[in-house]
Amino acid sequence: MSAPAPGHALARGTPLAAPRPGSGRTGRWLALAGRHRVALTLAFLVVFPWIAPYQALAVNILVLGLYALGFNLLFGYTGLLSFGHAAFLGGGAYGSGIAIAHYGLHPALALVAGTLLATLIAAAMGVLAIRTRGIYFAMTTLALSMCVYYAFYRAESFTGGENGLRGINVPVLALPGLRLDLLDPMVKYYAVLAVVGGAVWLFSRLLSSPFGAALEAIRENEGRAQACGYDVRRMKLVAFVISGALCGLAGALQAIHLSIVPIETMHYSTSGQAVMMALLGGMGTFFGPFVGAATFSLLQDGLATLTSHWQLFVGAIFIAFVLFLPLGIWGEVLARLRRAGW
Amino acid sequence: MTDLTIGGFPLDLLALQLVTGVALGAIYVLVGIGLSLIFGLMNVVNFAHGAFFMVGAYVGVFLYGYTGSFWLSLVAAPLAMGLLGLAVERVLVRPLYGRGIDDPLLLTFGLSYVMVESVRIAFGLTGLPFGAPPELRGAVDLGIGYFPLYRLFLIAFSLTVVGALWLFIERTSFGLVIRAGARDPQIVQVLGIEISKVWLAVFGLGCALAGLAGILAAPLQGVTPEMGIPVLAEAFVVTVVGGMGSLAGAVLAGLLVGIVVAMTSLVAPDMTKMAIFALMALVLLVRPRGLLGRAGALG
Amino acid sequence: MVSAAPVAASAASPPPILATKGLGKRFGHFRALSGVSVGFPEGGITAIIGPNGAGKSTFFNLISGAFPPSEGRVLFRGRDITGAPPHHFARMGIAKSFQITNVFPHLTVRENVRVAAQARRVRFAFFRDRSAYPELAEQAEALLGEVGLGARMDRLARELAHGEQRALEIAVALAAEPTLLLLDEPTAGMSPEETREMMDLVQRLAETRTLILVEHKMRLVMGLCRRLVVLHQGQLLAEGSPNDIRAHPEVRRVYLGKTA
Repeated sequence: MSAPAPGHALARGTPLAAPRPGSGRTGRWLALAGRHRVALTLAFLVVFPWIAPYQALAVNILVLGLYALGFNLLFGYTGLLSFGHAAFLGGGAYGSGIAIAHYGLHPALALVAGTLLATLIAAAMGVLAIRTRGIYFAMTTLALSMCVYYAFYRAESFTGGENGLRGINVPVLALPGLRLDLLDPMVKYYAVLAVVGGAVWLFSRLLSSPFGAALEAIRENEGRAQACGYDVRRMKLVAFVISGALCGLAGALQAIHLSIVPIETMHYSTSGQAVMMALLGGMGTFFGPFVGAATFSLLQDGLATLTSHWQLFVGAIFIAFVLFLPLGIWGEVLARLRRAGW
Repeated sequence: MTDLTIGGFPLDLLALQLVTGVALGAIYVLVGIGLSLIFGLMNVVNFAHGAFFMVGAYVGVFLYGYTGSFWLSLVAAPLAMGLLGLAVERVLVRPLYGRGIDDPLLLTFGLSYVMVESVRIAFGLTGLPFGAPPELRGAVDLGIGYFPLYRLFLIAFSLTVVGALWLFIERTSFGLVIRAGARDPQIVQVLGIEISKVWLAVFGLGCALAGLAGILAAPLQGVTPEMGIPVLAEAFVVTVVGGMGSLAGAVLAGLLVGIVVAMTSLVAPDMTKMAIFALMALVLLVRPRGLLGRAGALG
Repeated sequence: MVSAAPVAASAASPPPILATKGLGKRFGHFRALSGVSVGFPEGGITAIIGPNGAGKSTFFNLISGAFPPSEGRVLFRGRDITGAPPHHFARMGIAKSFQITNVFPHLTVRENVRVAAQARRVRFAFFRDRSAYPELAEQAEALLGEVGLGARMDRLARELAHGEQRALEIAVALAAEPTLLLLDEPTAGMSPEETREMMDLVQRLAETRTLILVEHKMRLVMGLCRRLVVLHQGQLLAEGSPNDIRAHPEVRRVYLGKTA
């Protein structure tokens, strides 16, 4: 057996649920579903609170789903594994939290402020991290996000430091001609869904665009993409920043949802959570991040009622996925449907 | 004894900080070399490296409580982590060879959760206090001031280990295989050596070094289940600063990072944690391949 | 470019499309290539040949911009392009096919070529759909027809046979609409039949473009190419027409004497 070393030469063949037009009936159905992926995803999210165990969890899953979606742009579609996305979720959360708690801004403006802050952090981290390639990218993004973590930890007067940022109270969302009572979990859910839905639509447009095609090419074969004339570094940087902005929006929503930004939002373990959700759900699949977010949250929630050491099981389950189910839940479902259709 | 100052700091204080920095750097060197060895040969980033560091510290502290012998802990901790590393490579990492380069990384990341939580179950959430053993407590006068004995010991001991490791890699036939394998795994196959055995041994060796660093660091800070997380990030900095897969680079960068931390804590204590990452950012901007890194590992 | 003049003058014919001046590459202490100065005429096929370890691949990688030379320069139409980033080569009209098959494995055959064609026109378009550029898909289909993959467009690239993947790679390279196409051992690992098809394709392609190809098997290229460049032990041994090369005593000694 001459198995190639894990990272050498052509070994970068992480199995991906590649879109493939089908000739069978299942294939046609899948292609049809693919064309309407935004509508189908939103339809699911609209009914989701009615099937979720309780509604506060549904908002969590929505927000984490957006976080995993943003992460997946980089990991699943561009092939870059970042271990620093907590800096963007946290940047978005602190940005919007500070805008509301310190400056009393309207929640809508706070979302913009949070997304903007995350975008800036992503640009700064990206410029540095993009200079390293392959597996070093994971190490560099992790280290840079730790730097951001310590910076926010230290800036106590703005961020509340170790105690977290408190006082983000948005009981009522006042929009022109509309007052939404965010204390009602259902109202809150659909208000958040309106924002997440918009992001999902933008994300889908991005994937279908020529830019999205180029990202896939970079994921598939960086050297070839470069030889085709793509400035790979610049495209990766743009993808990194867009990914950061999406995760920042998720963070901004999370701050409003939880009324607090714990410092852990920026911690390494939060970056790891994005990785876990993306892999559990199915990286490089459109709907996978939401499946991953739901799986992770339900798992965490269910295990936490049984044991305070739920992380042991989460870790073990994650290991099992890497070993036996690398396509993730949704990726595996798609793969099986495709196989059945041939 | 001295009223000499540099930048407003008395010389003996600076010397003390330097020793502190080098001692800290020695820890980074041990952790960084282990990471670099595994990475250079197998292209695997061991995300559980910090967890091996932490478990090594716990094993050492636990044994010390029973035996009262720090020397025994100093042998047992790396040994235990080496064995654990062998098992992990054999059972968990090996099935992933030939798959994507991110897979072993993801797996060891999940493993670190399991290791941290297992320690929490076994030893509690809060950690254990631990100080230098009696025979290594106190300070010695080196002529320019008093220095904590344990730190001096830590430096001397780590340098000895690194020296031995260097001799092992440069002078033994197994070391030759490691060096050849890092350049091209196929060369090793051609030599008629099963590369998977080399990978197994190197993974164990790297984990043993992490365990050793853990027990050496324990008297400086005590042990907690989370102690491995910052160390993992800092070891990554050491690897990036030192250069891709370069052992000499890991030594140089480890010491440099330790000294930068110690000096920053003197000048701007608030910035200590960030100084490490500022150093990495600077290296990435000026010399992205790292101080002693080979070209080609980077785009 | 002041330095471009002597190259053009020494050729005493139309200026070369690509020229090297004192090109060399060291890997550590190993000199893979040194002091190669050679000009490639526009149009037709020029083959770079030489025995194993002659430095052919290194030379190819230097002129295609895969890595920068240790010394010397590369001139494209008289312009110094030494050390230009890889993606600039495609934009200048230089495309290449690699020695190892190098396609986008999990994309369909059609998308492989479409995304390559896209690189020339739209790179940063974020919100228009890919299908808003039908001319790219048409170009991709035409190119796939040209290389004989018209019936395989909906397969994933990785499902193709080896020879088909090489053909796909050439279609991907052609999508950049190059005036100069560089091919590194296009027939490596191919069956005799695949080899024949590939050489037919190469000949057809050369009717409208300049081709430079590295080839290990001298016999294959002798009949096709206008000009040969022979490398030996990292240095230029000879250059000239196939007849010149056949008659060249040094070439006969180091190359033909052993393998032919």
